[in-house]
Amino acid sequence: MKREFAYSAISVALGLLLGAAFLMLTGKDPLSTYRWMFYGAWGKPSFIAETMTRTTPLIFTGLALMMGFRAGVFNIGAEGQLLMGGITAAVIGIYVHLPFPIHPLLALVTAALVGGALGYIPGVLKVKRGLNEVVVTILMNYVAIYFTNYLVRGPLKSGYLPRTAPIAESAQIPIIFPGTRLHAGFVLAIFLAVILKTVIDKSTWGYELKATGYNPFASLFGGIKTSKMVVLAMTFSGALAAAAGAVEILGLHHRFYGQFSPGYGFDGIMVALIGRNDPIGVIFAAMLLATLRTGAGLVQLRAGVSKEIIWVIQALIILFVSISQIYDMWFRKRGEQF
Amino acid sequence: MLGEDFSEVALHFDKIQSEEFFREVGALRKLLLLLLALVAVLVFPKYFVVMVTDTAGLGDKSFNDSVWAGIQKAVKDFGIEARVIQSMEMADYVPNLEEAVKSGADLVVAVGFLIRDSVEQVAKKYPNAKFVMIDAVVDQPNVMSMVFREQEIGFVTGVLAALVSKTQKIGWVGGMFIPPVERFEVGYRAGAEFVNVNFGRHVKVLISYVGSFENVPKAKSLALQQFAQGADIVFAGGGKNTLGIFEAAKEYSMRYEKKDGIRRFAIGVDQDQDWLQPGYILTSAMKRVDVAVYSAIKDLVEGKWKGGIHSLGLAGNYLSLSPMKYTRQFVPKETLEIVNKVASMIKDGKLYVPVPLPKTRDELKKFNAPKVEF
Repeated sequence: MKREFAYSAISVALGLLLGAAFLMLTGKDPLSTYRWMFYGAWGKPSFIAETMTRTTPLIFTGLALMMGFRAGVFNIGAEGQLLMGGITAAVIGIYVHLPFPIHPLLALVTAALVGGALGYIPGVLKVKRGLNEVVVTILMNYVAIYFTNYLVRGPLKSGYLPRTAPIAESAQIPIIFPGTRLHAGFVLAIFLAVILKTVIDKSTWGYELKATGYNPFASLFGGIKTSKMVVLAMTFSGALAAAAGAVEILGLHHRFYGQFSPGYGFDGIMVALIGRNDPIGVIFAAMLLATLRTGAGLVQLRAGVSKEIIWVIQALIILFVSISQIYDMWFRKRGEQF
Repeated sequence: MLGEDFSEVALHFDKIQSEEFFREVGALRKLLLLLLALVAVLVFPKYFVVMVTDTAGLGDKSFNDSVWAGIQKAVKDFGIEARVIQSMEMADYVPNLEEAVKSGADLVVAVGFLIRDSVEQVAKKYPNAKFVMIDAVVDQPNVMSMVFREQEIGFVTGVLAALVSKTQKIGWVGGMFIPPVERFEVGYRAGAEFVNVNFGRHVKVLISYVGSFENVPKAKSLALQQFAQGADIVFAGGGKNTLGIFEAAKEYSMRYEKKDGIRRFAIGVDQDQDWLQPGYILTSAMKRVDVAVYSAIKDLVEGKWKGGIHSLGLAGNYLSLSPMKYTRQFVPKETLEIVNKVASMIKDGKLYVPVPLPKTRDELKKFNAPKVEF
């Protein structure tokens, strides 16, 4: 664990270094760019709150992808599940009338159920019919994207923008830090990550899940119902991804916009990989991504660096972090202890 | 901005004038500095404008680029300072707008219709900040909403198309049913109707909608269908769709122009798009967001800035036809004169152009084209 942390730190440093070279090539001052980036994300309490707000959906989708990876399946459908979760939460938030604590909870749970069902289908298709879950979930993404788009441009449209009506106030997830946009969804995300960490590391179920991922044949031979584990992992993965969408709608946007997600579902792949498929690692990976994104606004404003350059730097950092497995090989080859 | 200027001036002053005398009379020095800073700010006001884009960002060859060009022109003409923040995702809108306000921007320019709700939210939170909202309405006293009377330029375009058409059929392929697009359409149809009444023609208008702004292939096939039904001019109503419609005009002309001698045209929109398929785009109905933002900054610099809804039309050249660089030879001189006369009549308020009512699409039925002497 310590070693993994060190690798991640080295990767971030290398990414920043190469990014600095790139910035110098484009005639910008790397130091001031990074200073503004860091300041924009962590420099003031309000900035920190904003970074946490951005971290929230990434933790959810990171956990969703991690669930799949742990069982050896790849849920690329997180984006679609997220959108379906979001629209479900919005519908319940708009059309169902309930008092406060029950209303958002019901919306969240329903969204998670919908997402769970969307994860269950490719899971079952995989174990019963041998259909590749990657193909199925990619295709289901299109269904979800166009279906939600249709809804916000058709029956659920409000005004002339592609968006729904606002959800009832009783359905909003409360802000936990007044004056900012940081809502209780963040706490929920952390809480879920800790629970998952315990379950995966300590419970029989977690053991069976991991075993299925490591070696399905040996697990089957050892008496683990691997097909059940795959279906369960896909179902939970779908539920978590849908919760990401629901939390964004209930906590941040307060209505469903056709384009509210910039691809959080796909970012989840990155988050899970950078976090090395560990729930706590996912939290930090999500924070890293959120830092880069939240800081970007101030970098453009103060350092005058364009959006595209910021994207290049982000990509470099992520690239280095995600290929850091090769350090392991490298250090071992040289016979050094790290 | 004021704060920053002050500290800069103070810094310089400190370096140059840090003599004993000033150290002794500290209070006086502070006062002096303050006065000096005030004078500096008053004599050389340097306005700071921040533009916040939507997720399309710069390089969209549409509103974002055009607005930024308008701001750049203002930078040159008024010596203001300008920065741009490009939003990467929807969750960026609110923090980016707030950042712009907090950076001391004298004016925050927001572009794109999905950013509207965020502008409303931030404008309420910072009632002293000034905002310009392009192409959408935010009903706040500190927001200058710049919307366009697209029906006016639609009307002029309709008159031109109906006069130029040889088949007496013209077409419209719109993006989505949103108010600005529908205003174009209704104006266009009314323009054709106006020609029918005043010039004894029987021009029919074919109407199609793509249902999206980015579906280039579908837009192309809809345009081809309209050409096949006998239309010879198709108005491309917005978004990336236009590219498909331009291609359709060229393709159809290539195939049939030699046989029937009729050139098929498309009509561009929002920007001068004539160069995209030279010779096959009759004209472009331009919506000058660059002129709009420039005039907002001009108001700011001249101290005349006021919030509220600004409805922009042909008057002031916020809407205009492109100069028709490649298609002049297809348009008779008399036709151009008529078109110019219609435009100036609308400018002077002598000709009423219908607007689509919310939720109904039949305002046009109420439009009785007036008889005009030409």
